Amino acid sequence: MNDWKKVLIAVDSTPTSDKGLEYAGKIIGKLSGVHVCLLHVYPEPPPDYYSSGKSLADYQKKQEADAAVLVEKCRNMLTGSGIRREAISRDVRMAEQKTISDTILDVQQHGEFGTVVVGRRGVSKAEEFLFGSISNALVHHARDCTVWVVG
Amino acid sequence: MVEFADLPPNIIEKLRNHRVTRSLRRRSRVFSDTTDFTAIDYGDIILVDGRYFLVTAYTKEGRFGVDDQIKPWVPRVEDLATGKRQILKLVFHETFDITFGPFTIPCYRNPEKEARVLELVKGHPHFMQGEAVLDEAGNLVRILEIIDGNRVDKVIHRSQSSHEEYFYEELPGILAHYLPCVKAIGFLHAHGFRHGDVRRDHIFVERNTGCYRWIDFDYDFYMPEKPFALDLYELGNTLMYLSARRNFYPRDILNDPNLGEEIADTIDPGDYSLLSKNRIANLQKIYPYIPTALNNIFLHFSLGTEVFYDTVDELHQDLASVVEQGW
Repeated sequence: MNDWKKVLIAVDSTPTSDKGLEYAGKIIGKLSGVHVCLLHVYPEPPPDYYSSGKSLADYQKKQEADAAVLVEKCRNMLTGSGIRREAISRDVRMAEQKTISDTILDVQQHGEFGTVVVGRRGVSKAEEFLFGSISNALVHHARDCTVWVVG
Repeated sequence: MVEFADLPPNIIEKLRNHRVTRSLRRRSRVFSDTTDFTAIDYGDIILVDGRYFLVTAYTKEGRFGVDDQIKPWVPRVEDLATGKRQILKLVFHETFDITFGPFTIPCYRNPEKEARVLELVKGHPHFMQGEAVLDEAGNLVRILEIIDGNRVDKVIHRSQSSHEEYFYEELPGILAHYLPCVKAIGFLHAHGFRHGDVRRDHIFVERNTGCYRWIDFDYDFYMPEKPFALDLYELGNTLMYLSARRNFYPRDILNDPNLGEEIADTIDPGDYSLLSKNRIANLQKIYPYIPTALNNIFLHFSLGTEVFYDTVDELHQDLASVVEQGW
């Protein structure tokens, strides 16, 4: 089991992501020895993206720019909860040839995070079958860590 | 455009005597650039890879409720040098949405993906065969082998047997052929590809061997978290269609004198398909002789399911066990 105070928070621009962040802030905000990584994973571009003449670099540049704003907002939320700014790192990456949940788990494994935090929006059975549920995938496949699913 | 007079003498000679060009009131045009495929017509020649393909017909496909729509980007051709009949697929980028119940999924026609799949499945007995070459303008033209056979959904309706006779006499053999087709889709997924358009009319049954082969790999869709779910779902749908020899909706039960209200009343909300509105997945309620092990596979695709198949391999494993046990 990895150190639970190494916390990986998966973020995106949805309200449920904010809820996860708020909850994590309340739980770990006053603790010492906590390290938080704000992780934003974005998918590969859709198959028709390249037919418009744009490159992967264009796509990644746009995603990275949007993520910079998102992560800064999240960082401010956490510092507002009492976590020191130096204790917060960031990781923004594309899910290359992988699902978003697999990419989160890769980061968790390689970074030896003991806690993963993710928001849950709540999906129907059909939606889960067709589009997947990142939180469910994390709960099913995570190893050496606890997963906090915030609904 | 290459001029007719510039064609090699042996090709001109073949054209003069060909049934297609004899019926034409104009001279065949030669297209080495297929960008504007709508300009290419019956009796014209497509020149790619140093080969002269005479357009002899166009393929058709039923879609969006309209039967037999002509696909102008998919001409049937004859290689004038060898006399071999083939199908060409010309570049046609198309984006559209498909609807599953309340969900909309963006779909794309992706020639590059089909070219890569053709390369991957070269020599594989359960996929159509072909190669991709570039025309003069750099368009990816796919040259496909014609499968001598018929669509599986036509083949299973050939006999006039009752469903019970079909189920006991014919279906075991049909599923024994369908099983490796399921595995073949798993093979694509293992290599990071989707079929993209798994449908019962995209399986051809080879006349001589009875082998089932997938056709048409140019569809793609964008589902980053569940990239293979749609293929998997359609494999389940195809299995249910093969097993019942049709799709069942409540009105079909009510209209069938052998079934009627008595059976219709037993259908619960959980018996319907997960994504296809009102289509019944719990087929055992309609045909009680369907073994539970087979019906349990159907139920993985129903609204009542607590467990989904995550991968095609899981579906294949369950179906292999059913086929092996028989009934």
